[in-house]
Parts: sequence; C-alpha cells; structure tokens
Amino acid sequence: MEIIDTQLDLGILDVKDLRFYIADGGFLGLKHKDEDYRHIVLRRIMPMEYPMEYISVADHENKEIGILRDVAALPAEQCAMVEHELDNRYYSPQIIEVLSVRDKLGYVYMEMKLKNKQGRIYDKSCAIKDVNRNIRTLPNNSAVIFDVDGNRFIVPLISDLSKQSQKKLDAYLY
Amino acid sequence: MKQFIFEYDLGIDMNPLDGKLIFAEDGSISNHAGDSELFRFFASEITEAVVKAGVGCGLLFVKAEGKDDRILCRFTMTGLKQAGEFCKIVNFFINNGTAAFPEKEEKRYCEECGRPMVSEINVCVFCYSKLGIMKRALGFAKPYMKQITISQLFGLIPRILFMLSPLFIRHLVNNFLEPRTGVWSDILLIAGGMLAIRVVADAVQIVTARVFNKATIAVTNDLRVHTYAKLQGHSMSLFAKRTPGDLIRRIMDDTSTINEFVSDLGRWIVDLFFNFVIAFAILLYFNWQLTLLVFLPVPIVIFALRRFWGVMMARFERHWRQGSRCNSILHDIIKGIRTVKSFGNEEREIAKFSRATRRHAKIGEENEILWSLLFPPIGFIMGVGEFLILFVGGWMVLNGSWWIFSGDLLIGDLVLFTMYLGFIYGPLRWMVHFPRWLANTTTSMVKVFEVLDDESELKPISSPHNVPITGNVHYDGVFFGYKSYEPVLKNITVDIKPGEMIGLVGKSGVGKSTMINLAMRLYDPNTGKIKINDTDLRDIDSDHLHENMGVVFQDSFLFAGSFYENIVYGKPDATFEEVIAASKAANAHDFITQTSDGYNTYIGEGGQNLSGGERQRLSIARAIIKNPDILILDEATSSLDVETEASIQESLNRITQGRTTIAIAHRLSTLRNADRLVVLAEGGVEEVGTHAELLKKKGMYYNLVMAQRQNSRKQETTGG
Repeated sequence: MEIIDTQLDLGILDVKDLRFYIADGGFLGLKHKDEDYRHIVLRRIMPMEYPMEYISVADHENKEIGILRDVAALPAEQCAMVEHELDNRYYSPQIIEVLSVRDKLGYVYMEMKLKNKQGRIYDKSCAIKDVNRNIRTLPNNSAVIFDVDGNRFIVPLISDLSKQSQKKLDAYLY
Repeated sequence: MKQFIFEYDLGIDMNPLDGKLIFAEDGSISNHAGDSELFRFFASEITEAVVKAGVGCGLLFVKAEGKDDRILCRFTMTGLKQAGEFCKIVNFFINNGTAAFPEKEEKRYCEECGRPMVSEINVCVFCYSKLGIMKRALGFAKPYMKQITISQLFGLIPRILFMLSPLFIRHLVNNFLEPRTGVWSDILLIAGGMLAIRVVADAVQIVTARVFNKATIAVTNDLRVHTYAKLQGHSMSLFAKRTPGDLIRRIMDDTSTINEFVSDLGRWIVDLFFNFVIAFAILLYFNWQLTLLVFLPVPIVIFALRRFWGVMMARFERHWRQGSRCNSILHDIIKGIRTVKSFGNEEREIAKFSRATRRHAKIGEENEILWSLLFPPIGFIMGVGEFLILFVGGWMVLNGSWWIFSGDLLIGDLVLFTMYLGFIYGPLRWMVHFPRWLANTTTSMVKVFEVLDDESELKPISSPHNVPITGNVHYDGVFFGYKSYEPVLKNITVDIKPGEMIGLVGKSGVGKSTMINLAMRLYDPNTGKIKINDTDLRDIDSDHLHENMGVVFQDSFLFAGSFYENIVYGKPDATFEEVIAASKAANAHDFITQTSDGYNTYIGEGGQNLSGGERQRLSIARAIIKNPDILILDEATSSLDVETEASIQESLNRITQGRTTIAIAHRLSTLRNADRLVVLAEGGVEEVGTHAELLKKKGMYYNLVMAQRQNSRKQETTGG
C-alpha cells in the first residue's frame, strides 16, 4: 500500500474544497477549487460494501474529478444533496413480499410488492432469465434480483420476508 | 399529427409515475404527468437529446447551446429502449429538420392480459397458445406425414395384438384350467397362439418404429438446419444479444427436446391412450362395478402425485441449478488455469469448487430422502386398488355377488382384471408428468421459434444489384449505435476513392471498428447511407459485396482444418496455384512449407498451435486470395511484436497497392503511408488529411502521435 501511496495519487477529494449545488437543469453541480462543474456524475465504487463511502465524482464526460471518501464528512445540507443524487442513480426498490413465482417458457415470472427509498409501496411484476446469474444471494443473507430489462430489486434480509415469500423464493436461492 | 410517445414510469422524486414524453411531427416536445402538461418546447431550441443509463434506472436529458443540461424525465430500465428510440427521433429531427417515425412500434403490453411483455421474446408468457405452438412445430412434420401416418396405422396392429393376451389367458383359465377339463393340445394351441401373436406384434412393431423414428429424426434435422440457416442471415446484433452458448442450446438441445416430444408423442402417448381406452372398455364389458373399483384410489393418487410432484420438481430444479453452478465454476477455473497457477491460488479454487459441490451433494441427498419418504406411500395407495380388486373379485369368485357387486365372476375373469390393471394405471401415472413435459417442450419450441421469428435488422433486398465494385466507398450522414440509446457514430460523411488507402484514427471506443463493420454490412446504419459506387449498400447483393471485400481482423479466427482449407475459405473454387500466390503475397508460404505436411498440415481449432504472426499471415492470405477491390484491416498487426509486425507490414504494403483499403492500427506509425487519415472523436469526424498535413495542423492527430512517441520513449528508458 505504501508503494502505491507514494507512486499514485488516489485523487481523494478534500471535503473543504467541495460545494455541491443543483444546477438549473436539475443536475447536481460541483464547485471544486476554481472549477465549476454544472453537471457531474456520482458513482459508488463499492456499492454493496460502501454505499456511502468512496464515491467517484466525475464530470459530464465521465472524467473523474476525484473520490469522495465519506459522504457523511460533508456538511448536512451537502450530504443530503449527494445522498439524493445517489438515490437517483441507484434505483433498487426493496422486495417486501413475493406474491407469486412462476416458471414460464424458461423465464421466472415474479409478482411482488416493492417499497422504494421514499417509502412508497407498490406492486410490480418482472421476468428473470437465467436465474443462476440473476438471482444472487449475498454473504450477509441478502439477495439481489435482476430482471430481463436490467431493473434490480433487493431483499435486504431474506429472513425478514414472510414464510410464504421465503418459500416461493427458496428454490431459486443459493 | 404524427407523434412518438415515450411512456416513462418514474417521477423526478423517483416515485412511480405514469408519465408521457411526446414528440410531435412539428418538432414539439411535451411532458405530461396524468392529465396535466408539465412543459412544452421545440426541438429547434436544443442541440441534442441524450439518454443516460444509471443502475436500475435511467434519465433522459437535453443539451442546449449556452444552457445547463436539462433533465426531462426519469424511468426504470424497462423504459430504456423506448427512451433511446425517443432520442433517436428527436436527434434526427434536429439534424435533418424532418421527423422520421419508426414503421413499427414494439409491443410492450400483452393485448389479451395487459401484462408487460418480456422484452426478449415475442409472445406473452401467460397467453401464448400451447396448441398453436404445437401445431406450428408439427408443421415441420408435413413433408413426412405419409411415413408418420403409415407407421402409426400399422402401429395399431401390435397394440391390438398385445391387448389380446389377457383374453387368451382368461379363456385358458376359465375353460381349461379351472374346470380341469383341458388337454395338452388345447393348452399348446393357446400358448402357441399367444407366442405367434407376440412374434407378429414384435415384428410389425420393429418395422413401424423404424419408419416412424426415421421420419421424426428427419423432422428434427430440418428444424435444426432451418434454425441455423436463419441465424446465418442475421446481423451481428443478434449475436451480440445472445451468447454463443444460448444459440447453440437453441439449435442443438431445444430441437432435440422437440424431437423427443414428437417421437414419444407418436409412440408412447398413442400407445398409452390406446391401451387405456381398450382396457377400460374390456373391463367395463366384463364387470362394470368391479371396473369402477379400479379407479377408487386414482383421485387420491393423482392429487398426491400432483402435489408432491410440484415440490419435488422445485427441489430437483434447485439441484440441477446448483449442478449447473458447479459446472460454471469448473469451466471458469479450467479456462483460467494459467492465471490460477501463476497466482498460486490452486488451494483457494479447490476450496471454492468443494463448497459448491458439497452444496450440490447436500441438496441431492435431501431430495433423495424426501423422494424415498413420499413415493412409497403413493405406490402403496395405488396398490390398494389392486388389493381391492383381488379382495372383492376373490370374494365374488368364491361366493358370487356381494353388496353392489353383482354377476358371476370366474377365476379367469379375475386374472384378466389384474392383468388389465397395469394398462390402466400405467397411463394414469404417466398423465401426472405430462403437463410438465408439455411445458418443457413448449419452452423449447418457443425458444426455437424466437430465432425463426426474429426479424433481421438487415433489411432483405427485393431486387439486389450486382454493381461493379471498383472500390468507391461513401459514408453519407451515417448515424449508428449498437444500442439505440447510445449512438456510436454521429453524422459521418467520408468519401473514399477507388484505390485509396484510408487510415481510421482515434481513441479506443470512438467508433473506428464500427465504421468498418458498417462497410462490411454486418449492421445497417440507423440513419444515413453507405454507398459503394453510388449504390446503397442495402441494395447490393450481400454475397456479391463480400466476394469483393477482404478482411483481416486483429484476432482472425482460423477454423479446424488444413492450411489449404483455411486459405481457400476466402475462395472455395481457387486453384492450388492461386493458393500459393496468396500465401507468398502474405509471406505465409515459407512457414507453411516448413511444416511436415505442407499445405495439408492440420491446424487445430482457432489455430492455437501457430504463433500470432503465422495466424495473421494466414488470415491475410485468406483475405486476398479472392483479389478483393476493398481491403479492410482492423488492427491487423496490433497484437504482434514490432519485428513480426514489420515483416507483415511489408506484405501488406505490397497487397494494398492500387486497392481501396480501410485500415485501423493501434500503432499510428503503421498508418503514416495512408493516402488520408480520418480522425474520429466522440463519434464524429474531427480531422481529415495526410500524416504530414495533420502533424502540421497540431490538432487531435498530432496529440495522439506525440502521446504515443512519449510513451515509446518512456518504455525505452525503463526497458519496458
């Protein structure tokens, strides 16, 4: 690590130099030192392990400005802005109930009740292809489901689902 | 007024919303949420509409001169494709001043049930007609109907004959054995009769099965060839959309499943159905009350089987999936064994695979335990029917009528009943599995039909021209993106004269290879045209085009076969002297002749036994054997060391003389002799000129050359 540190600049941003704001068109902007970026893109570098740490900050042409080590280190208002932007970029509603799971023509067709980050509960159906790859359990007893369109749905804790829901999902979980 | 509607499903606050973004023919763009219009403006006010995919969602925004980028709407990934279409239409309007709407919009919801369609298949997974699909599959059997019908009709003979056995035995028992009045000749006659029937039945069955199997194998073969031929006619997009494994599975496995179904349907289903009906009719004829007793445990058995079968299938599926997971881990490790060994990670990989196999074994063990607990009781319930027949039948033989069971029953009748029980229970047991079998087969059929129905993005030509191809290639306002929402090439206009050598230059991902893919018509432009000798590429016969085009890729694929076979792949009717000439021109002749069998030397799949330079020389020979007017070199020498590249470059310089050549090269120095260099940036043409002109201009090309020189110097000083 020492060798890497001495040879490479990781581009960790100093929170004192950062001021995030909402530009006229609705995009998140950033004033960093003398530069004013009117449209920036935030990306989680390790979305599963560090959802609010190590955030790559890039301009609209995807050129990285630097890495924000910890969102919580920002002033409250700035922190909220960044969190909101990340929520807008990473949309993975939570599965709170599995209504039905049916195998149809080689696809798994799932009907479920979802809750989004804002707390809104709604029903959604989706088709999943190649369940080996697209229904994944994670080491912390959570699961992620990817549908054929590229939507993703998460189960933060499988054991929190009702027994019926778990039973319906069981055959597809590894 | 014509309009294109993009139905988006997320609000700016990321809550679900039914919104519409409408682009109308007059160039207006309006945004609606429910009944209210949120805003409206004209496409002329903006410079570009852009779609950006996030994670699980995306957004559509517009760019305008001197203004901030403006978000129009957000959507889940379900809307991504339609959002891309929307942008394409708006951007076409911005660039051309007219609106061009797609001829056919993709069906997003099932017309019958209203459920969203699965984006990858063109039938609703809930409403498709199994019967319709079956009919279509059976349509492939039409040319063989005569054989199938004859074999089925003659197949009735052994079926009827087999069904006669219990009647013979009944006769034997009732008339000769039970009254003990028979003589040996009677018994011999019956036994001999049964033997003769068996011989005739078996002989007829062998012949009919042979005819039937031959016909069904031919049906599968036709289906397989038809599917494969359809695949070959597709653009490269289909191959990008589906993995090779997926396509191979459809052509080989799914067609086999269909074959199994068709042949089993012909043999077993007809057999079982016929046996059931005949046995049932015979039993009813002899004693209808006792016959109904046969069916007493059937509802319980069917209920139990159906219920447990669902559980078992889910468990077996889980077992199968875990097995498949083990396979993919193994596949991954073996494929990357060099990396595993070079990092010394053998132990870690062994542990990873063991974990997966242990889990596989555990699921298998659990399944077996459950199976052994569930199915013996079901067998027992079924046995109850046989027990009841024996008990009630035995009572009737001894005492005559009993309760509701009336009529005389002889020992032979009882034997007949127990023998026909097998004919009744067999089909019943089998019927429980039928729905699942049918579902699996229908899935395979849909998978095959998906390939057959997938419309090629390369529009078929109604009257293709065989225009003389002299090497003039003209890109005329070409827009193209592999995904509709991500344009790779934007408004490319380049005119390449006959015999000219053009070098395509730019950073990676800028669209250089895409430009040549379009020239080869592996894809068609989204908008704009590519013309060869003033004829739209889409109007030129594809075979004619490719006959006049030679291509050398960076990773040219060589097929399993001899050197000779690989070279003539470019021109199957080439003479041997032409093969030698092409090899010499490509500097391949010398190393070929040094091998043990010369041009007959067999090279394995992918030419893995050859060095990179040898593989490229062979590819060049294969490309030029047909003396093409247009030569395409896509990083032809990039993967080679400097010395080998120099040797190959020497042959390329010779070959490209007087031939239209479009070349891409990682090392810019290899393109310095090009007549013109086209520098691409962000999907558009940034600069055009000779090497000297562009260096003088000190623009993007200059910067690229300088960066590469600096890099080379750095490598030289560090000894890299």
